[in-house]
Amino acid sequence: MADTTTPSRSIPAAPGVLTAALRIFDLSLGEMLWSRRTIFMALVVGAPVVIAAGLRAVVALGAPVLDQSRGVTGPMIFGLMIWVFYLRFTVPVLGVFYGTALMADEVEDKTVTYLFTRPVRRGAILLGKYLAYLACTVLVVLPSVVLVYLLVVPLQGSLGASFLDLLKDLALLAIGLAVYGALFAFIGAQFKRPLLVGLVFIFGWEQVALVFPGYLKRFTIAYYVQAMVPHAMPNDNALSLIQAIFHETPSLPLSLFWLGVIWITFLALAARAVEQREYVLEQ
Amino acid sequence: MTKKTGYFMAGSAAVLATGLATGLVAYYTGGFERVSASAVANELRYVPADATLVAYADVRAIMDSDVRARLKAVMPTHEQGQKEFQEQTGIDIERDIDYVVASLTAGPNAPAPLVVARGRFNDTQLEGLIREHGGTVEEYKGKRLIHAPADAPPDPPAADVTEPGATPNETPGATTMHGLHASEMHHRLVLAFLEPGLIAFGDGAAVKTAIDAQLTAHSVTGNREMMDLVSDIGQFNNAWAVGRFDLLSSQAKLPAEVTSRLPPVKWFAAAGHVDGGISGSLRAEARDDQGAENLRDVVRGFMALARMQAGADPRAAAVVQSLQLSGTGKTVALSFAVPAEVIQMLPQAAPAPAP
Repeated sequence: MADTTTPSRSIPAAPGVLTAALRIFDLSLGEMLWSRRTIFMALVVGAPVVIAAGLRAVVALGAPVLDQSRGVTGPMIFGLMIWVFYLRFTVPVLGVFYGTALMADEVEDKTVTYLFTRPVRRGAILLGKYLAYLACTVLVVLPSVVLVYLLVVPLQGSLGASFLDLLKDLALLAIGLAVYGALFAFIGAQFKRPLLVGLVFIFGWEQVALVFPGYLKRFTIAYYVQAMVPHAMPNDNALSLIQAIFHETPSLPLSLFWLGVIWITFLALAARAVEQREYVLEQ
Repeated sequence: MTKKTGYFMAGSAAVLATGLATGLVAYYTGGFERVSASAVANELRYVPADATLVAYADVRAIMDSDVRARLKAVMPTHEQGQKEFQEQTGIDIERDIDYVVASLTAGPNAPAPLVVARGRFNDTQLEGLIREHGGTVEEYKGKRLIHAPADAPPDPPAADVTEPGATPNETPGATTMHGLHASEMHHRLVLAFLEPGLIAFGDGAAVKTAIDAQLTAHSVTGNREMMDLVSDIGQFNNAWAVGRFDLLSSQAKLPAEVTSRLPPVKWFAAAGHVDGGISGSLRAEARDDQGAENLRDVVRGFMALARMQAGADPRAAAVVQSLQLSGTGKTVALSFAVPAEVIQMLPQAAPAPAP
């Protein structure tokens, strides 16, 4: 009698964490880049470029905007734009909008189930999405900074003399995006209304803690990121003025150390939250 | 990853890389010129890095200004001389020169002057004129250099550099500044055609150094201190000069009693804007705060003296009233303005008698 049993097919091994994360990264990058959120991101990073081009045009037309005797030069304006547009607004806001959405969007769209049924670790899904967030924001924010640098710095300034400052700015903005992204990825994975929590954190807690004297500011990310800025802090409003009065600057190694700690801790916590949390989809 | 996403990422990375590469090149070459100095940025590349004095004049703006028109009405001009000059060289001083950049570089025996002029020049006519008078032609690194004739008598402008007391008639073989013979100075004069519409003339060594400076990108644009001053004063003025006061005074070989009384100034800058009126500023960077304070005291004294003297004359009073002393730290700055009304108050020249 002939043997009718078919040979059993071996189940392919599940991909490792890194391989799985890279696959999720590949999948998520396009989704993230061409989502409705991108319009918001384009406005946020495009505004400084438009302002810089406008300033350049106004100066070319002969308007007395610059005044070296009062220190109003291209490099000074560039420093001001880094503070006001990028450091205080773009980086935390993109962090909160994209970071909190990493898992929350999948839950909201009720597609998280499909991801979780794949034979990959849940932590790898978060890691892949986080890498996609980082690539997406870094590749949009940093070119915008470079364009502003090329447009503004030559106005009574020198591209060469400001080049090291540009490198520092790019590095600290990338670090800021990474750390804020890790924190908000955790908030997005852990809390029910992550966007609200994130906005309260950046526009509430961070602003207040930085103003008060004492150790509270050490529980913010801005405290460490702002310590690395090579430009003078602007005193453009009352809050900034108070902040400047109580301004303490941690050393660069200390800032880098604490930012590294925050980054690793919150990324690990986010991965853990995704691994352990039972996502209940609302019907 | 979709093609669209790939293109976007490549585009972003290209913008980032281009910006970083531009910044890196600027960093290693000493920084691209400021926008405010862009009108003369190209010409400044011909000024040697070790120039002790750089000056600029927007000839067209000054020639077209109301001040110039008024001065022309007040002072008789040598129109015949201008006409002869134009016939010989093809250059109409009123219209053909846009702007000039001049510099002074320390030479082995004497400072080497250089003038770079932008405008509309008839290269063939200029070269022909000098060759007619025995000038020689040399090719130097792709640029055409015309040497002034060795035995030609010096032109009248050479009299400007004679020692005080010497008369222009003494010029053949007369000793000039720094012990250089007038004929020798004249022999060293070179005219170079740098680019279409751009000529240089001056000391032969200085002209060659200028060509080298442009080719090797080792020009005054890499001198951060000087370019900062140029950038500062160059934006709103159509004539300016920036120089190292200490080096220039040491090169001038002044008597010791004069040198000892000179203020301890490192840099000086003079700038003026000629339009309806004339506004200008003088700025000095002292070696230290104390030196600057002493200089401010001296200037204050002169200002007080000028106010006392100018009381009766409304024109002088208007100018003296405009004097403003400013500056902190090592900087001493004095600004002044000659309003258009004061220029209008200048008396008209008497009409030339009919021939």
